Amino acid sequence: MPSLRDATPRLRVRGLTKAFGRHRVLDGVDLDVPAGAAVLLTGDNGSGKTTLLRCVAGLVDAVGELSIDGRGIDRSPGSRRTLSYLPQSPGLPGWATGAELLQLFGRLRGSHELLIDLPARFLPPLDRPVGQLSGGQRQRVAIAIALLGGPRLLLLDEPAANLDEEGRAALIDLVRRATEQGVSVVVAAPSRGELAGMTDRVVRLAGGGIVAPGRDVARSRDAGRSCDGPPPGQEEVAG
Amino acid sequence: MSAMSQVTGLAAFELRGATRSRWVLIGAGVFAAAAVGATVAGLRSFASLGLAGAGAATDGLVQVALLLPPLLGLLLGAGSLARDRERGFLAMFASQPVSRTTLPIATFLGGVVAVWAIVAFGLGAGGLLIATVATLADLAALATVVVVAFSVTASAVAIGIAIAALASTHQQATAAAAAMWLLLALGLDLLLAGVAPGLRLGPSGLLAAVLVNPIEAGRVLVLLLLEGTAALGPFGAYLSDRLGRPGAITLLGSSLMAWTAGPLLLAVAVTRRRDI
Repeated sequence: MPSLRDATPRLRVRGLTKAFGRHRVLDGVDLDVPAGAAVLLTGDNGSGKTTLLRCVAGLVDAVGELSIDGRGIDRSPGSRRTLSYLPQSPGLPGWATGAELLQLFGRLRGSHELLIDLPARFLPPLDRPVGQLSGGQRQRVAIAIALLGGPRLLLLDEPAANLDEEGRAALIDLVRRATEQGVSVVVAAPSRGELAGMTDRVVRLAGGGIVAPGRDVARSRDAGRSCDGPPPGQEEVAG
Repeated sequence: MSAMSQVTGLAAFELRGATRSRWVLIGAGVFAAAAVGATVAGLRSFASLGLAGAGAATDGLVQVALLLPPLLGLLLGAGSLARDRERGFLAMFASQPVSRTTLPIATFLGGVVAVWAIVAFGLGAGGLLIATVATLADLAALATVVVVAFSVTASAVAIGIAIAALASTHQQATAAAAAMWLLLALGLDLLLAGVAPGLRLGPSGLLAAVLVNPIEAGRVLVLLLLEGTAALGPFGAYLSDRLGRPGAITLLGSSLMAWTAGPLLLAVAVTRRRDI
């Protein structure tokens, strides 16, 4: 597994600024996510968590520098080969079956292999149209789609939405196993709440910048692994 | 993974979605019923006059084929990208290693094949009735109607996708597509009938008015192909004099191609630049 002290972070964000009209949602955000690290982005509604993930996923234009493993991110397909993004509302079409969706996205990513094996019974019946599935079952299909094609950076926007207790536990385990394989994970959620222990660090966004970078003590202690980055407060520069 | 494979994969997905849409199936049924109705009425009117052949039935099919399928094409095109963007599914597509250009093009291909299947189904149902009395010329005329209807519906899907790329919401895109259909299918004709005498547009003005409306361009094209310039009266004489029949056919065909390529290029340009 790559060391968390690798010189080049998996995800590097510098001076990221995004405005909608006159409202600056992100104002010079700096963030480093090492290889194999999991970071939880928290913040109030409208604090810019989703916007930050969408900028990294190449969905919105923004000012600033974004790179994965030292390579700049732009809107070219090559930039997105190494990342995978789970939107807050995946909006899977109700007529399509889970199998058809996995087939399609596997084809787009050039691989039908999942990054990690999913626990038994994690996925709902894949031959049923997703319109006939519950919200939580649809979210599980969307999570599986995000794991297709061996991404090195997973961007998960409120991945626990609609998941039941078993689903959340499976999600936490998936993130843990992904990071063990050197995959970096950035999770956005309004608060640590049910995701405590999922990530190495918690980063809080407010007023367009990072206000409270820190270590997710629960995971470091529970998982028994070190989050040997710089001390909290020195990892990210408040925007 | 080649870009072509991604385009065909996405287009097949769009096509599958269209074939499973209740509204598309209802539209296909309504069009087929209208096509059969127009054919039966046309055949009866000819038979009652003691005439053989399917001329009136084919004329009826032209009217139906250039009225309903463009509406379906506009709505299908307008619904696709706008709906997917609104519900977040477009973000899942756009975050894949796929060129932004791929999205509207694949949507267009999937939508066009779906609408062409509807056109073929409806005109095929009419064609089966025509075949009972048809001469070889009647079947050739029917094939001409099918080809022109395919061209006009391709333009309609492309315009719908351009609307979807520009619209903020699915509802806005659908409303704009319906308004566009009203304008192209009825509004411009009525406007022209109202203002042409006062403005003294003349034949060149009429030609310009035809070229800016793909449905009208299709209607004039099919008349030129089936019956020549004589069927268009003084306007036909002007076309014949200025361009000749082949020239007029080329101009109108090019206009339909431009009405397909132009909106599609606009949709590509907007999708490439726009935040998703």
